[in-house]
Amino acid sequence: MTVNLTLNGEIRTFFGDPRTSLLDVLRETFRLTGTKPVCREGFCGACVVHIDGLAVPSCLRPIGLLQGASVTTIEGLAQVDALNALQLAFKDQDVVQCGMCFPGMVMTLSKFQETNPTPSRAEIKAAMIGNICRCTGYERIVDAVLSMQSRENAQ
Amino acid sequence: MNTDARHPAVMDYPRRDASDKLQGRTRYTADLGGLETLHAVLVRAEVASARILRVDVTRARAMPGVRAIAIAHDGPGLHGIGIADQPIFAGSVIRHHGEPIVAIAADTLVQAQAAAREVLIDTEPMRAVLTMAEALAPGAQLIHPDWASYEVLKEGAERGGNIAWEASVQRGDTKSAFARPDVVVVEGTYEVGRQSHVPFEPRAVIASFEDGRYHIQTSTQVPWTVRAVTSKVLGIAPSMVRVTVPSVGGGFGLKFDCTLEPYAAILARKSGRTVSLVNSREEEQMTCLCRENAQIRIRSAVTASGEIVAREAEVLMDCGAYGGEQVFLTTMTAHTLMGNYRLGSVRLTTKAVYTNTPPNGAFRACNGVYNTFALERHTDEICGSIRMDPLEFRRRNVVGDGSLGATGQVFQGDVLRPMLDRLVQMRPAKDPAVPDGLLYGRATTVGTWFVFVGPSTATVNLNADGSATLVTAGVEIGSGTMMQSLPQIVAAELGIHPSAVIVKSADTDASGRDMGVGGGRTTVSIGAASAAACAEVRAKLLASASELLQTEPAKLVLTGGRVEIMGRPGSGTSIQKVIQHAEMVTGPISGSGSFTAPGVAALPGCAAGHFIDAIDIPVFAVHECELTVHPATGHVTILAYRVVQDVGRALNPRAIRSQVQGGVVQGLGYALHEEITINTKGSFDQRGFESYLLPLAEDVVPVEVDLFEGAPSLGPLGTKGAGEVPILNVGAAVACAVANAIGKPVAQLPLTPPRVLALLTGRLMPQAATAV
Repeated sequence: MTVNLTLNGEIRTFFGDPRTSLLDVLRETFRLTGTKPVCREGFCGACVVHIDGLAVPSCLRPIGLLQGASVTTIEGLAQVDALNALQLAFKDQDVVQCGMCFPGMVMTLSKFQETNPTPSRAEIKAAMIGNICRCTGYERIVDAVLSMQSRENAQ
Repeated sequence: MNTDARHPAVMDYPRRDASDKLQGRTRYTADLGGLETLHAVLVRAEVASARILRVDVTRARAMPGVRAIAIAHDGPGLHGIGIADQPIFAGSVIRHHGEPIVAIAADTLVQAQAAAREVLIDTEPMRAVLTMAEALAPGAQLIHPDWASYEVLKEGAERGGNIAWEASVQRGDTKSAFARPDVVVVEGTYEVGRQSHVPFEPRAVIASFEDGRYHIQTSTQVPWTVRAVTSKVLGIAPSMVRVTVPSVGGGFGLKFDCTLEPYAAILARKSGRTVSLVNSREEEQMTCLCRENAQIRIRSAVTASGEIVAREAEVLMDCGAYGGEQVFLTTMTAHTLMGNYRLGSVRLTTKAVYTNTPPNGAFRACNGVYNTFALERHTDEICGSIRMDPLEFRRRNVVGDGSLGATGQVFQGDVLRPMLDRLVQMRPAKDPAVPDGLLYGRATTVGTWFVFVGPSTATVNLNADGSATLVTAGVEIGSGTMMQSLPQIVAAELGIHPSAVIVKSADTDASGRDMGVGGGRTTVSIGAASAAACAEVRAKLLASASELLQTEPAKLVLTGGRVEIMGRPGSGTSIQKVIQHAEMVTGPISGSGSFTAPGVAALPGCAAGHFIDAIDIPVFAVHECELTVHPATGHVTILAYRVVQDVGRALNPRAIRSQVQGGVVQGLGYALHEEITINTKGSFDQRGFESYLLPLAEDVVPVEVDLFEGAPSLGPLGTKGAGEVPILNVGAAVACAVANAIGKPVAQLPLTPPRVLALLTGRLMPQAATAV
């Protein structure tokens, strides 16, 4: 089966088994390895990408359903060598540890911030239910998201 | 207890790998296999115990895309810690569910998986010994009938039958102490299940065979162990193996052993191609070298004033089908279960017990975590028996300057007692608001762990542009030592900025031998070796500058990328000019250094079967937990969590606080809901994230952290490892707080709602507890 989709702004074509997960297509066909395979069951969120404007785990999306879809991965989130405001906050506040969960964490929370630019601590945590981190214990991630508001409010 | 906070090595220097990690550009080992790479799978045992009658790979070999197949005779050597008891392939006997039998490399993963289904394995079932109780029962089937013929790598331990290793401590006369008329005897038995590390990058390796040598790129904490074990099982010289390590996506101790590497190496040689082998998540979970399940029996003789005149204990640790790390860890009970408190006399036996279950391994603070749980619950029960306030009891009894450790070492400095006082100062003025109907509990616990020192080497090459390249066997597993503490130490020694220090990741062809990254040792041991290398570089740099500046070296200082004449800022010259001068006169500037600690002695005859006599660098922690228990559901909610941690000196306080937050949360998972149960097939019931429950953002609280500085340490600048110990007393603090909340003794972890409810109601849990 042939699937045409827009991937990080470019039209790309996949040819193969339509049941292949988007996650495997990204990593194996297009060698975009920023999207991480961790649980492959939709719990951990390490493989979250944006599909037509929604943050979803790519492991649960068969490629055959994505004809004509627009997909953005962590590699296409910002310009090459540029970080978005959230990534910058994570970097500045030294939040990252092993880093495996962060591509998905960034994809989920970047999308969340579009709809809720001034979330409370509890709202941020609720938004992270589908993104597990084994290293950080979460709170510094929440602090970094909150710090973006105080910076914006201060301006 | 003062440290100089202005030391140039102390700063909240941010990680340099953050940008790439945040953009998905970091290539972990699991990301490396491109189209040119073969993909491998392991055919694993689906039973816990059987005799292998026949392995036939004829049909598998004929499958499309198959390039190489390996079986037992391709890697016949046995490896282990203390005793060489473990083959990489089950050859004639299957000893645990998930044990590898065949390895297959094919052009694609799907092809390798298809070929794996065509492997024929005939087996004759044998009875599986799945619990320690069965393994130790009279007449139990032996998991290693040939145990006596195994190569012994470390002498001096009791072994035999299903006991892989026994370590013991005898200091003083406990028997007469227990018979004293003025003591109360308090006893307890405690049980814990296994904990799975769940690093987000599973164990993964890429191997090739180049110029007659194996090149192994692997997600490991221990490149030199991988080199040693791979060569041992392949029966080749260690120098035939080169190990390099890309960024590691989490380790937590799981990657402190060699596991997948030899299979990939064998397949690479057989196929002549580069071979990638990555555990699937299910394999990673089902063959996780867990923190082991264990049973702890402890009894103490205590006077009315709270003096502990004698303590006896027996610890049974399930090592699974092979000895592994548990053999070494039998040593550590002496310093954890028999740690924390001054003891008049000590008698301790620790057994690593073989069962037909997946082997266990090392996990952040290892058995310290459950020994601290058992010890602190036992301590609170002692306090109940003699009616003494638990905090007061701890203040009176914790080890301090001059106290004798379990094996007779003499502790230096009062550390735990002032840490307890600091913890009390952290408490808020007002008690927390507890919703109506919930049961509230608080507990304060102490813990003792250590820095696993041992040999490290480092080389520092000074570059013409004034930067320095640090070459060590260190690897970045996420804790940040390669990104923060090491460049900070080198920069401070050389008067340059940490951003001018290039840190090379482990390459056994470039770096000297090393114990690996774990046990809190990276900053201490590799840091000390790095500082020693810098001392040589400094001496050469200052000698060269002395010629240029016509000033004796003792009057020169390195600062801000320059060599200055002391007391006359701006009078000197740039490091680049000095390097240029040195290159013409004496050659490029480099230095090397090494470190180890010879070990602190025990009292003669006091300890048997121990790998270390005493702890070179003790690390102490005080934790306090406040929580509520829902009386109808048994659900535990953490209200507040406070930590005072002995860090020696905090080189990067912000990074250490992040380690504490992350370590405490891993501990909360262990204390409350991370549970592995072993079924009748000898495999784990929890095969993935749906059933193995990791802490989520909504489960956790911001940990309040106080870094205690100034305790004695061999580490460079007085540092101690800070990443290992934050998990140490979480199980203890939660269990003691739950016991206080519900008014019932807690003797088992994790405290899942059904287990707490069973304690509250006095009824048994609906299903059997974790096999012990």
